[in-house]
Amino acid sequence: MVLLEQVRRRLGPGVTFYCEHFHAEPGARVALFGPSGCGKSTLLNLVTGLLRADAGVIRVDGQEIQNYSESKLDAFRGERLGFVFQTFNLLAPFTALQNVIVGMRFADVIPDKEWKDRARAMLDRVGLGHRLHSKPGVLSVGERQRVAIARALVNEPKLIVADEPTGSLDPKTAEGVMALLLELCEQEAVTLLLVTHDRGIAERLPQLFDCTDLVKESQS
Amino acid sequence: MSLWRIAWSYLWNRKLTTALTVLSVALGVGLISAVLTLREETQRRFEEEGQAFDIVIGAKGNPLQLVLSTVYFLDAPTGNMDIAIFNELKEHEDVVAAFPIGMGDTYRGYRIVGTTPDLMEFEWGDRTPYALAEGRYFDAPFEAVVGANVAEDARLRLGATFYGTHGFVDSPYAQAHEDHPYTVVGILERSGSPNDRAIFCNIQDVWDVHDHGDDHDHHHEHGEECDHHHPHDDITAALIKLASPAIRFEFKDLVNRNYNAMAAIPIQEIQKLYEQLLGMAKLVLLAIGYLVVGISALSILIGLYMAILQRKRDLAIMRALGATRGEIFGAVIIEAFWVTLLGVVAGWFMGAVVCAALNQYLVAQVGFHVSAVRLTADLVAAYSAVILMGLIAGILPAWQAYRTDVARDLSEL
Repeated sequence: MVLLEQVRRRLGPGVTFYCEHFHAEPGARVALFGPSGCGKSTLLNLVTGLLRADAGVIRVDGQEIQNYSESKLDAFRGERLGFVFQTFNLLAPFTALQNVIVGMRFADVIPDKEWKDRARAMLDRVGLGHRLHSKPGVLSVGERQRVAIARALVNEPKLIVADEPTGSLDPKTAEGVMALLLELCEQEAVTLLLVTHDRGIAERLPQLFDCTDLVKESQS
Repeated sequence: MSLWRIAWSYLWNRKLTTALTVLSVALGVGLISAVLTLREETQRRFEEEGQAFDIVIGAKGNPLQLVLSTVYFLDAPTGNMDIAIFNELKEHEDVVAAFPIGMGDTYRGYRIVGTTPDLMEFEWGDRTPYALAEGRYFDAPFEAVVGANVAEDARLRLGATFYGTHGFVDSPYAQAHEDHPYTVVGILERSGSPNDRAIFCNIQDVWDVHDHGDDHDHHHEHGEECDHHHPHDDITAALIKLASPAIRFEFKDLVNRNYNAMAAIPIQEIQKLYEQLLGMAKLVLLAIGYLVVGISALSILIGLYMAILQRKRDLAIMRALGATRGEIFGAVIIEAFWVTLLGVVAGWFMGAVVCAALNQYLVAQVGFHVSAVRLTADLVAAYSAVILMGLIAGILPAWQAYRTDVARDLSEL
């Protein structure tokens, strides 16, 4: 499902990201683990095409994306990926329902007449059927992350990338969100790449990838 | 969910800033709407009135003054002319109708216009400018027919009497002709024309009032010149309807060359007035209007630019969700469009309110009715220009949004 071979990316003067090999099978759930600044998020950004590699091969769902044009990458992200961020990244002017619909609107893989029903159903599945018309500002942090999970999954993506999804949550809420995310990914048979610096969270996933040595500072 | 809806939601999310920007656009558009409408409407109304008669004849002087005083009752007459000239021209083969006009007095600032009874039956096109609302036309000596404004403002009802005062200025020191009271026998329908603020009587009454045979001792205040002597062989002016508007210039030349009088074509004088005087005023006001809109465009630019800076993360999220750079650019341009469109609509409304208020004033003061703001070609062009300015103002913020660095903006907390 996801393969990185000898991927290099310059991050700054004398600072380089290099991944010799990374591989995740379809349906795998992989924790990208390591301390802050080790290159976990860079790996995720390269997989999603938000960062371009200077060298190497990045294959996602059978597609080598490293040479994709900007517009092709936009379409690729919309069609095949779902994002869950640490800070939820919901759009403030929109309700929970509308935030999920916005996810479908830009992905453009679901017919627009189905948007509303699908968004409702997805929010029901994450336990927010009663908060459809609430804006992010009035939702609890746990509820916001559930909306973000619903938005990530609603387009039936092939891959979910989650960047510290529990980083802003208290332990109890984090536990609930993690359980939900893992359960839904399993039900949908979606590949999950989850970035975390929390070993406890990382160990809940069947596969763990140590990112400790991905970023190197050159001697010069 | 369309980009239009998304753009609208972001505007709604910052209501106060949006409202202030819309207001600034509306002020400029309101000014432009009011200026263009008033200019167009007043010109249209003036020209309509100017079309009623083909030629005005009076004493030699300023032709515009002659037209303004005789057709619009707005200026002092140029003097008097010999009635023999009128009588001769009345018989000219090209003249369809001719009416003498004698003026010299007012009542509470409203001009007393002496003429012949047949003027009251004058019609042109489908208009009957002297149609009665109540009563009848003047017949016996010192009977008067008053315009709608006069009746309303001076509270003159049928049967009421009043005295004319000498001169064209409403002054408490003006000499009243107390031995010649007029009786109101008719009130004209409101026509939105100068007739609304005029008092019509038989020209013989004007002559009689000012006949030096009476033992009146006129006392002139404030150095006012004695121009009220109207012997029976003098009239102030004459209104002429020709067989065809095509012969106006020819007839005007005929009068100016062969008689001790001056002929003027009302519509020509009014158009000259608009071109020379009001044309410049219109340009100045329009320039101010566009300047306000220009400043508003700048405030759209600044407002949107700041909004884009504040929501770089939102734009990055949209990009991560699959939005193209073009869609992000379009969403911001649409925001600029919404703000400008709302400003135009609000400005149109403000312009309509200003025009309605000025209409009240103009009807009362000048007797001209100004219609509400209508979408004329000039206004459509002006509104289009404003919307274009708004869209141009949106380009820089949209470009800023277009260049969103998704990975960086998502990583910045």
